[in-house]
Amino acid sequence: MTSAEQVAIAVPTGALHDGALSLLARSGLASLGAEELGRQLLVEREGLRVILVRPSDVPAYVDHGAADLGIVGKDILWETPGAHYELVDLRFGGCRLVLAVPDASSLDGPETWPPMIRVATKYPRTAAAWFESRGQAVEVVQLHGSVELAPQVGLVDGIVDLTATGRTLRDNRLRITAVLGTSTARLIANQASLKTRTAAVQSVVARMRKASSDAG
Amino acid sequence: MWPRPGGFFTSANPSATPQLGGVPGFRDLLPLEAEILREAQESLLGEMRRWGYRHVITPLVESMDVLDVGLGIEQRRRLFKFTDARGDVVALVGERTVPVARLVAGKLRAAALPLRLCYAGPVLSTDEGRFQQRRETYQVGAELVGASGPVADAEVIALAARCMEATGIRRYQIDVGHAEFFQGIMDAVKLPDDVKAAVRSALAARDFVALEALLEDTPLKSAEHELLLRFPALRGGAEILDAAGGLVRNRRSEAALAELARVRELLVAHGIGEVVNLDLGAIRDFDYYTGVIFEGYGPDFGRPVAQGGRYDGLLERFGRPAPATGFMVQLDLVSEMLTRAPRPPALPRLDAALAWSGPGLSTALRLGSTLRLFGMRAVVDTESRSTSEANAWWHAVGAANLVHCLSDSVVAWSATGQRTRRLPPEQVAARLAGGVS
Repeated sequence: MTSAEQVAIAVPTGALHDGALSLLARSGLASLGAEELGRQLLVEREGLRVILVRPSDVPAYVDHGAADLGIVGKDILWETPGAHYELVDLRFGGCRLVLAVPDASSLDGPETWPPMIRVATKYPRTAAAWFESRGQAVEVVQLHGSVELAPQVGLVDGIVDLTATGRTLRDNRLRITAVLGTSTARLIANQASLKTRTAAVQSVVARMRKASSDAG
Repeated sequence: MWPRPGGFFTSANPSATPQLGGVPGFRDLLPLEAEILREAQESLLGEMRRWGYRHVITPLVESMDVLDVGLGIEQRRRLFKFTDARGDVVALVGERTVPVARLVAGKLRAAALPLRLCYAGPVLSTDEGRFQQRRETYQVGAELVGASGPVADAEVIALAARCMEATGIRRYQIDVGHAEFFQGIMDAVKLPDDVKAAVRSALAARDFVALEALLEDTPLKSAEHELLLRFPALRGGAEILDAAGGLVRNRRSEAALAELARVRELLVAHGIGEVVNLDLGAIRDFDYYTGVIFEGYGPDFGRPVAQGGRYDGLLERFGRPAPATGFMVQLDLVSEMLTRAPRPPALPRLDAALAWSGPGLSTALRLGSTLRLFGMRAVVDTESRSTSEANAWWHAVGAANLVHCLSDSVVAWSATGQRTRRLPPEQVAARLAGGVS
């Protein structure tokens, strides 16, 4: 737990990591090297406690109050909605959640989908909700990595995955047939932190909001 | 030869092992936890009784007909439902305000209003929740039915504050808001209906990024836009009322601000002014709450432990229109907070372990009765023991004193850190009951 004035922020590893550290530096909150944080996982600087966690763990840290704030991709929030406040679109880490099928596949628009489509994804909840909202029966195969491989070996008809440039998809001879949503990094806040330590938390939020809109 | 596969997850005959851990989402409370929870519950009910609230006990099972009237679709979906032997659909209660409303409109319909009632009990949900994976939690609550206006609102808020204090929580805080402030803004804000609906659901999801996007796309900008965008930051003391008063131009919100100002004055008179914050951006179930709403927060805890507010629409749905306000305390969270406090409560020690050998049994039983009459905790052994065995048993049960009853007239008395003394049982009883060692 943090003291009254110290604000704890959870920063994700992975694709958003560099953008998050750069934003913290531009906000004048903390200048941290990726190497330093990678070694220590928890660094305290000028009233700010920075915690390094896996991207999908950020909501857990924030919702439980172990971190007052968190930087997290919208894609993670789709998959794990929670009781936190989603405060700012930080305008980096832009990417799309797409439905992709093998180049050679006959699947394209919804009219070409089979009665029951099989997709592999790391986003089972989001994928299932998206297909269901379109009245399409879906069988979701949850995988934890190398999702691109699944359609090539005949496991599924297509994949629902995140892509920034589309390069990995092309490399694996997959093409995009639908976009489920676009995601950027978000700043989320614990509900009690906003209420019990308003001034300290809001001041950090304001600085990050300003730095992110200056850049965007 | 290969080693046999084994370890924690491998059992020789797994189907023969009953689920000793219980059903997922349901918990056993071990003696210390159970004691802390029970004491916290007693403190809460005790404080409510001191304010004139009468204890009622409603059943764990309610008819779906009743719950359909009082609960929203999301809450109904999370209920454990089943059909009873008569074919009626019933459910295990997921909250206890609706059963109390049923009681007030039914068996208590002849009782004069206002009624002050309190309750305690488990509530169940099929949803394990994201925090603790619990489907059974404990709630203690109070309802003030038949009184409207700031005096009643302030009474319930002050009671909630004193309840938190009574459990031993230090450094708590109460956030007070008003459902009508938001409703007034939504009336006044110039937006197409479908955008308004999207604004409501973005706020309900606490998604301010979506809210901002929705409001940015609309050409008409008003003071209400500005207020909605600043929603999570609309907190503070009395000054926030003036700041907001300068921005709103609709009667509903203005009336809400005036009511909040009055409630704040009354809370100062109740003596809890310094723990109260005004939160105009409080986001709660706006279909249910109709007036002043509030939440109680403990120190360093990510969630509210107490929640409540005015719900003037509920009783009418049961055929006895009446204003009402109330709150409930999440007893699980209170006891968790107490357990995590700098000096957590400890399980009270047994006062005396009464061992015996041969003819000493009747002395041990007599001595046990005497000590219990004086309110002491005394346990009598179930088998005859030698001196060394009695000592081992004493340490196993963890009592402050060992009294080894040897005969009708002699006992060996050992207290922690003291030499063993041989005395008549009456003398030991007198000394223990008198607190003399």
